Amino acid sequence: MLWKLVCLVFTAGSIAAVSAQVKTFPFAYTQQDLSNGLRLVTIPTDSPNLVSIYVVVQTGSRNEVEAGKSGFAHLFEHMMFRGTAKYPPEKYNQVLQRAGAASNAFTSDDLTAYYTTFSKEDLPAILAMEADRFQTLKYTPEIFKTETGAVLGEYNKNSSDPEEKLDEVLHDTAFDRHTYKHTTMGFLKDVQDMPSQYDYSLKFFDRYYRPEYTTIVVAGDVDPKNVRALVDQYWGGWKRGSYHPDIPVEPAQQGARENHIDWPSPTLPLIDIAFHGPAYSDTSKEWAALDALATLAFSRNSDLYEKLVVLEQKVDTLSASMAQSVDPNLWEVEARVKSASDLPYVRAQILETIQRFQNQPVAADKLDAAKSRRRYAFTMGLDNSQSVAAAVARYVALRRSPDTIDKLYSLYSQLTPADIQAAARKYLTENNRTIVTLTGAAEGGGK
Amino acid sequence: MKIHTPLVGLLLAVTGFAQMKTVTLPGKSPLINFRIVLTTGAMMDPADKPGLAHLTAAMLAGGGTKDLTYKQVVDAMFPIAASLGSQTDQEMTVFGGTTHLDNLPAYYKLVRSMLLEPGWREDDFQRIKDDTINSLRVGLRGNNDEELGKEVLYQTLYRGTAYGHYSSGTISALQKMTLDDLKQFYKQHYTQSNLILGLAGGYPANFLEQMKKDFAVLPAKDETPVAAIRPEPVDHTRAVIVEKNTRSVAYSFGFPIDVKRGDPDYPALLLMQSYLGPHRMSGGHLFQRIREIRGINYGDYAYIEYFPRGMNLMEPPPNIPRRSQIFQIWIRPVEPQAAAFTLRLAFFELNKLIKDGISAGDFNRTKEFLSKYVNVLTKTKNAELGYAIDSLYYGIPDYNSYIKNGIAKLTLEQVNAAIRKHLRADRIQIVAVSANAEQLKQQLVGSGPTPIQYNSAKPADILAEDKLVEKLDLGLRPADVQIVPVAQVFE
Repeated sequence: MLWKLVCLVFTAGSIAAVSAQVKTFPFAYTQQDLSNGLRLVTIPTDSPNLVSIYVVVQTGSRNEVEAGKSGFAHLFEHMMFRGTAKYPPEKYNQVLQRAGAASNAFTSDDLTAYYTTFSKEDLPAILAMEADRFQTLKYTPEIFKTETGAVLGEYNKNSSDPEEKLDEVLHDTAFDRHTYKHTTMGFLKDVQDMPSQYDYSLKFFDRYYRPEYTTIVVAGDVDPKNVRALVDQYWGGWKRGSYHPDIPVEPAQQGARENHIDWPSPTLPLIDIAFHGPAYSDTSKEWAALDALATLAFSRNSDLYEKLVVLEQKVDTLSASMAQSVDPNLWEVEARVKSASDLPYVRAQILETIQRFQNQPVAADKLDAAKSRRRYAFTMGLDNSQSVAAAVARYVALRRSPDTIDKLYSLYSQLTPADIQAAARKYLTENNRTIVTLTGAAEGGGK
Repeated sequence: MKIHTPLVGLLLAVTGFAQMKTVTLPGKSPLINFRIVLTTGAMMDPADKPGLAHLTAAMLAGGGTKDLTYKQVVDAMFPIAASLGSQTDQEMTVFGGTTHLDNLPAYYKLVRSMLLEPGWREDDFQRIKDDTINSLRVGLRGNNDEELGKEVLYQTLYRGTAYGHYSSGTISALQKMTLDDLKQFYKQHYTQSNLILGLAGGYPANFLEQMKKDFAVLPAKDETPVAAIRPEPVDHTRAVIVEKNTRSVAYSFGFPIDVKRGDPDYPALLLMQSYLGPHRMSGGHLFQRIREIRGINYGDYAYIEYFPRGMNLMEPPPNIPRRSQIFQIWIRPVEPQAAAFTLRLAFFELNKLIKDGISAGDFNRTKEFLSKYVNVLTKTKNAELGYAIDSLYYGIPDYNSYIKNGIAKLTLEQVNAAIRKHLRADRIQIVAVSANAEQLKQQLVGSGPTPIQYNSAKPADILAEDKLVEKLDLGLRPADVQIVPVAQVFE
């Protein structure tokens, strides 16, 4: 595909601005709202004969507000493949097969996304079938119980990985009230109780599988007018809902927290040092500053990586991230340490590094390199219709429009060393901190 | 696709001097994909040094150059968001990376130095050796029961052949390896005759010629003759249970087949695979019978080609061609109380497939699926380039045409004949990863029924089928079940 810097093209009335500014997202797209609240984003790309559709529901584990119901957004991802009167599962799969489609779904904190990549001539059939299951999903209590077995199977296949456990315990320790306390899979006890929650599952569908929560992203070899006509035809009759979840607000953390996991099998020790950070923002620089800080202080070209991984070789993986979430979430550093006796040293090194970034502004050339890297990494990932739709889906979950991408990268380009330092000082404080460690039954490692 | 070499089958042990080969997909994209391939891999490891090919490639991709330390390489790659990765399988090693056209000169300069002027520093070597050992000890043995089961299956089936060890080697051999071993392997196998330069995207007109000139510094040696891979036949069903402390039971089972890409029955078996268990797709027959109807686990799939890292990938990675392949069924982790039943169910379905074949309706649908799905497999230029290199290796036309033409000509009778000819439901190697191995063994070898308990009512036809499944004889004798503590695997 040939990329050039382009202007946004909005064709529908809900957003009228046409911008001539330089864009990071290199494709022209149309964004349109149907009267029922459903949003359609269509992105023609140079992907001969292929189309990718992402149906993004702005509902994830964040929306699981009732006690004992963690994991329901993810369970629902499974239930959506259980068919309708018009398309029972067998027929649903047959349509996908005839389209040569790759199709799957995933759930995160803030979204559930259903995606399909297929040949362009099958666009009407796929859009019609997707519309049907979003509007008329139907399953019996027996089918529901059967599917909860597959969800438990997914928990089981993840459960051999200690990093999954570390993530579960970290969030449970760091959060008191907000639903980011639990992972997308949910607590094991809730997953095991799912078979008895048929009625609640119907309520969940009724609340969230509504047009006002949903955005359809279509990328590839498509004509936006044709896509709009098909979406009007098949999705136009979908009824708007009225539910607004009351997501609990996390109170400010009062004092450092710690937790430890004894892993029953041999594994390398892990340490995760996390702080409550801000929500994703495309208007305030703080989120971008903490995201950049994660790269500057702990990525492969950072001083600490060179020290711990390359020179001393006490650590074999080191990384940091700022969660990209609707509500305030965690900024984390994670290290895998070769020997448990080095855990205190590695912990001290990470904390000292954070302190250094709080005390001294980062060198301007290093910040420029981090900005350049982020921009290239984003645009180089957009090399086919599926990756374009996937990248947009992630941002749609946050702001419901690809225009947030350019706003974010514009903020990035304006970041200064002082911004990084200020964000580090504000958020990476002891009161705001949670540390979780994990050690195996008998220590292993390459040293 | 342009292939700048006669389409000789590289599978043949070609003697005499051979030049480097190139595979290019020129286009307008500002992204330039590199796949620099050496037709050498783990099968060339000396008998006492399993893992040497892997470690050599990892050292080139993860170490410094003659002039730059590793840190300087990382610093140079950082602002352009580029990297060079390595993948070593039995027969092929590939170095891959992508750069934006803006940064092509800087990126290529690094790649050239990494591959042609490696730094061979002792501290890089120690770090990479540690990483490799930890990936075996922790990544595979500790944290990934499913991949562990698959690799133990391959190791067991190919014992005694050049494929007889996992490509990353064994922990004890890696611990003994020296930097000189790596240099020696590099000198011997990184030759022009083993080299395929793969390039895609909008690179400048003279770029390929420059690359060829640069890589001509590699020695122009003969291609290394390679032995045929002839796995011992599996003469009766047998099992390895890898015992570890884990929540659930993961299975892989199968047997070698005499079919690879380019062989007459390949399209027929590919269609069979796409019907029985297409990777990570809900429409597959095994998925329907085990997960969808019974809710036993997360998924169940079938393979006729090696497919590592399947839990993280939706499509197979290119550049892992093999002259010998296996038929394999992958059963994702099952709750222990359903473990014996589930294995019997998978055998039951395999039996049924061989006995009844695929129906006309399923055949037509799967045919249509495959003829379109190949476009999804090659949806990126990088993947298309990888497939083009594999096609050169197997001596077939470009993959999409090969599949579309092969599938178009297939008849239902040919597919069902190929199933009967190449598949079987006896003489199978089973691998399970499980806690309480002795208990599982007793359930698998015993003649008593191993029924399943459901949490919900099931249709009468399923319950009736379950009655047959629960007492299906796997053909396993107690003496044919080997229990291996996980700490011994890949040690």
